[in-house]
Amino acid sequence: MTTLDPKPAKPEGRKDPWSQLLDKVGKYQDREAYHALFEHFGPQIKYYAMANGLASHAEELVQEVFVSIWRRSCLYDWRKAAASTWIFTIARNQRIDMLRKMQRSSAEMLVETEDLWQIPGDNEDEPVTSLHRLMSERRIRESLSHLPEEQITVIAKVYMENKSHQMVADELDIPLGTVKSRVRLALNKLKVILQDQNV
Amino acid sequence: MTRHHPDSLTLMEYSAGNLSEPHALCIRLHLDKCPHCRSRVDTLDSLGAVMMEEQPKVSVSESVFDNILACIDSEPAAETVRAAAPRISPLQKLLGEDLNELPWKRQLGDVSVLDISEKFPGQSEQVVLQKLVAGGKAPAHTHRGNETTIVLQGAFADQNGVFNQWDFVVLNEQDEHKPIAVGCEDCITLSVLSAPVKLTGKFTRLLNPFIR
Repeated sequence: MTTLDPKPAKPEGRKDPWSQLLDKVGKYQDREAYHALFEHFGPQIKYYAMANGLASHAEELVQEVFVSIWRRSCLYDWRKAAASTWIFTIARNQRIDMLRKMQRSSAEMLVETEDLWQIPGDNEDEPVTSLHRLMSERRIRESLSHLPEEQITVIAKVYMENKSHQMVADELDIPLGTVKSRVRLALNKLKVILQDQNV
Repeated sequence: MTRHHPDSLTLMEYSAGNLSEPHALCIRLHLDKCPHCRSRVDTLDSLGAVMMEEQPKVSVSESVFDNILACIDSEPAAETVRAAAPRISPLQKLLGEDLNELPWKRQLGDVSVLDISEKFPGQSEQVVLQKLVAGGKAPAHTHRGNETTIVLQGAFADQNGVFNQWDFVVLNEQDEHKPIAVGCEDCITLSVLSAPVKLTGKFTRLLNPFIR
C-alpha cells in the first residue's frame, strides 16, 4: 500500500517520501510505488528532454530513464542519495547516452556513458554520508528562493538546457567572466561549494 | 590555472553533463580517488535535482508507462543484476592492464607520447598520454588554449609544486612550466588539449612540430 504526500516533506535525516518509494521498488519490485515515481518524475524528465533539444524524443527519454530506474533500483541506497538526486543523474546519463547513440554506431562506443558520469552510490567503497547530503539538499531548496533571478537563470541554462558557460554567455550577450561570477556567487550562497581548492 | 582538484565551475559542468567525453573522463578518474571532490559533485547533483523539480512539468501520456512495463517484463531477470556486477575501471577498459606496455612513441629526450584521440570518436579535442621517465625532465613549454591533465601514474613536479597520482591540473597559455618526473616510477599523464603545446626554449622551438 502506498500513501503519498502531495509534496515531499523536508528530509530530516530520514527518508523523504520519494526515496521511500524508490526503496520499495528496489527491495520488493513494488509496481505501485514505481507508478507513483513515474507520475511525479515523468513530467520533470519530459520537460528536461524538451529543454535540451530532444523534444521529438521526450517520451522516449522518459521511457529509457524509467527502464533504467527499474534495472538499477536494487542498487539504490537512500543513505547515499535522495531519490530525486539519483533520478536526476539517471536522466542526465540517459540524455547523454541517447545523444551519443544518435551520433555514432554503438561499435564506436568504447567507453560507456556510466564510465564517464557516475550515478551516486554506485561506488561501494563510498562512505555513507547521509547527514551531510540531506542537509545540503534541504539547504539548496531553501536558499534557491533567495537567489537573484539572474543567477538562477544561468544555473537553469547550465543544468536544464545543457549549455556550457560559454554558450550561456553568448546567448545572454554578456561576458564569460560575468557568467562565471554569477555561478560562483550562487554556489557560494547555496553553500554548494564551501571553498575551492585552488592554491 | 587549476591545481590538484577541479574547480567548482568545472564540476558543475560535469554534474550538468555538459563536458566533452575526454574531459568527463579526467574528472571521473579524479572523483574515483578523491572523496572530497566526490562529495562536492554529490551536492551539485542535488542542485541539478532541485533545478529539475523547479521547472514546469509536461504531462506524459499513460501509454508511456504501459510501454515501460512491457519493456521490463520482456527482460530476463539477469538484466537487472547486470548493473551490480563489478565494474572494470574506465581507464582499464580504454587502455588495458599496464600503462607501461602501451606502444609509446619516443619524443624529445625523456618524453614519450601516445595519441589516443581516436578512442573518442566525434570529439574535437586531442587526447594524449605522456610519459616522462623517472627522474627525467621535459623541455620548458607553454600551452595554447586549455590543457587538462590528470596524473595516472607516478608524480611530477614543476615550479608550482608536486603533482601526485590522480591530481588534476588545468594549464593555459600563461602557464610556462618545465616538469620533472619525481619518485621512482615513470610519470604518466592523460591530457586533453584544445590546441597544441608551444615550446619556449631556444633550441626546442625548432622541434616544436614533434611535441604536442
